[in-house]
Amino acid sequence: MDSISEKHIENGKTQFLMVLILGIITVFLSLFAMGQGSSSNLDMMSTINIILGLEAATELQSDIIWKLRFPRILMAIIGGAALAVAGSLMQGCLGNPLVSPLTLGVASGAALGAAFAIVLGVSVLPYSNLAIVANAFFFSLIVVAIIIQLGSLRSISAESYILVGIAITFISGAVVSTMQYFATDAQLSQLAHWSFGSLSRPDLIQVLAISIAVLGLMPTAMKWSWDLNALSIGGDEFAISTGVNPAETRRNMLILSAFMTSVVIAFTGLIGFVGLAAPHMSRLIIGNDYRKLIPCSAIFGAFLMVFADTLGRTLFAPIVIPVGIMLSIIGGPFFMYLLLANRGGKK
Amino acid sequence: MTEIIDVTNLNFSWGNNHVLKDLNLNLKENELVSIIGINGAGKSTLLKCLNRILKPDSGEISIFGKELSDVDLIELSKHISYVPQSIRSNFSMDVFDVVLLGRRPHIQWMIAGEDREKVSKTLRYLNLEEFAFRRFDQLSGGERQRVIIAKAVAQDPAVYLFDEPTSDLDLKNQIEIMKRIKELISAPESSKSALIAIHDINIAARFSDRILLLHEGRIIADGTPQEVLTTKNIAEVFNVTSEIVNMHPNYIRIIIKDEINEKKTNRTVIL
Repeated sequence: MDSISEKHIENGKTQFLMVLILGIITVFLSLFAMGQGSSSNLDMMSTINIILGLEAATELQSDIIWKLRFPRILMAIIGGAALAVAGSLMQGCLGNPLVSPLTLGVASGAALGAAFAIVLGVSVLPYSNLAIVANAFFFSLIVVAIIIQLGSLRSISAESYILVGIAITFISGAVVSTMQYFATDAQLSQLAHWSFGSLSRPDLIQVLAISIAVLGLMPTAMKWSWDLNALSIGGDEFAISTGVNPAETRRNMLILSAFMTSVVIAFTGLIGFVGLAAPHMSRLIIGNDYRKLIPCSAIFGAFLMVFADTLGRTLFAPIVIPVGIMLSIIGGPFFMYLLLANRGGKK
Repeated sequence: MTEIIDVTNLNFSWGNNHVLKDLNLNLKENELVSIIGINGAGKSTLLKCLNRILKPDSGEISIFGKELSDVDLIELSKHISYVPQSIRSNFSMDVFDVVLLGRRPHIQWMIAGEDREKVSKTLRYLNLEEFAFRRFDQLSGGERQRVIIAKAVAQDPAVYLFDEPTSDLDLKNQIEIMKRIKELISAPESSKSALIAIHDINIAARFSDRILLLHEGRIIADGTPQEVLTTKNIAEVFNVTSEIVNMHPNYIRIIIKDEINEKKTNRTVIL
C-alpha cells in the first residue's frame, strides 16, 4: 500500500479514536448524571449497582431510578442524538450550514398542536394524559406530509424547502399567537412551559418507544452517507455525475430528519440549539464525511444534552432549569468559541 | 471504432430560448472531441443533457446502444463522468476524500483497498499528491479544477464530459492536464473517450481528434481540427478575422487578428 493510502487510513483511525473518546466521556457523564439528584442515599455507584442488579433497592430508590432518573438521562441521550443527526442530515442535503431541525417548521407544527390541546382542548387523543403529546406529534407529522408533497414536485430546490419551512413557521406562529391572545393565564403558563423544552415529561415506556424509533432510523441515515457527501460537497450537478439523485436524496433525508425531530419534540417540547450546534461541533472534529459525521453528531448531541440537563438540575438545585434553556445558555458561547477558535487557526 | 454515444435530433429549450435544435452527434472509443462555439451556443447544455443533469425536450441519446433515460443513474455514472467548471459549497473535505467521491458508483459503503489505491494513483498521475490532505476549500481555483478532474479520472468512466477543463488553469497546467486527458483517451487498452466544451480553440486544435462547431443550436462543422478550424468558419461563428498557421504536421495554430464589425458604430470610450 502506498504512503497516501496509508495516511488516509491513519487519519481515519485518529478520527475514530476521537469519536470513541467522546463516546466514553458521554457514557461517564451519563453515569455521573444518574447519581445527581436530591435523594442523598442514591449516589452514582449505588445507582449503577441498582441498575445492574448488583444491589437491592428500596421501593423509593427503585421509583427514583426507573421512573425519574433513567428515563430522563436516556431521553437526553436519545433526544440529543436524534436532533443532532436530524440537523446534520438537513444541513447536508440542503447544502446550508444555517439549517437546523426547526428550520422546516416541524417544531412550529408541534407547537401549534400543543397550543390546540392546551388552549382549545382539541386533541387527536382527547381526555388522555397524552393529549398534548399526541397533538404535537400529529401536527408535526402534517408538516412532514407537506415536505413529502413538496418532494414530489418536479425540480423543487433546496431553497424552496427552506422558504416553505419559514412560511410554515410564520403561519403556525401567527395561529399560536392568536390562541395565546385569547388564552387564560393558566393556559399561557402551560404553553410557555411546553415551549421551554424539558426531559422530564416522557415516562420509561415512552422513552423506550422513542429510542426504538430513533435507533431504528439511524442505519437508514448512515446508508445515505455517500449520497450526502456528494450532495453537500459538490451540489446537484456534481452529485448526479457520481450517480446520486439529488432530489430523491433530499426528499428522503428531509422526511427522515423531520420524523426524527417530531418523535422527540412531541415529548420534550422545543429543543432547538442542539440540532444546529452538535453537527457543527462534530464537523470541527471529524470533518464533513457523513460516514463519520452522523455517528459523531449523534454522540455530540447526546453529550451536549446530558451535560446541559445535568447542569440545569444541579446548578440551582432544587430548582430545575429546563434543558432547552440551559442548552442555549451554555452551548451558545461554547459554540461561538469553537467557531472563532477554528477560524483563528486557519489564518 | 466502437460507438459509445449516439445523439439524434436532440432539442432543448430554456423557456422560449431554443438552445439545441435537432442536434446530431456521435462519440467513438479513443476519441477526444471538442465542442467550440460562442457564449450561450449550448455547449454546457449539451454536456448536461448527455449526463441527465438536464432533460431534453425531444430527441434520442443512447450510450452503448441503450437509451440514456433507461440506464440506472449509478450505472450511468460508471459510464459517464461530467466535470463542471467549478463547484461551490458551504462544506469542504480533504482533497483525497473529494477524489474518493469518484469511486462512489463502484462501492457499496465501505472503502476497499483498491479504491484508495485508485485515488492515490490518480492524485500522483495529475501531480496532486502534495494536496492530498489539504482542504478542498483552501485551494486556488486552478487547483480545485484539477481536483475535480482527478475525481472524474478516479471514477474510471468510459466517457468524460469536460466543461471548460482548462478555464482556471495557468499555461503550464493547461498543457499538462490536456496531455494527461489525451493520454487517458488514446491509450489503446483504455477504450475511453472525451467530449470537451472549450473556448480556447488552440488547445482544441492541438489535442482534439475531432472538433464540433456549435452555432445557433446546430453543429455546423464536424471534422478534424484542420477541416473545421478554417478562417471562414471562425469568421462565421466567432465574428473575428484569423490566420491559420501550420505548426507541426499534426496540428495547427489559429492567430486571432481582429473582430469583424458588420456595422460601424460610434462608441464613446468610458474611462
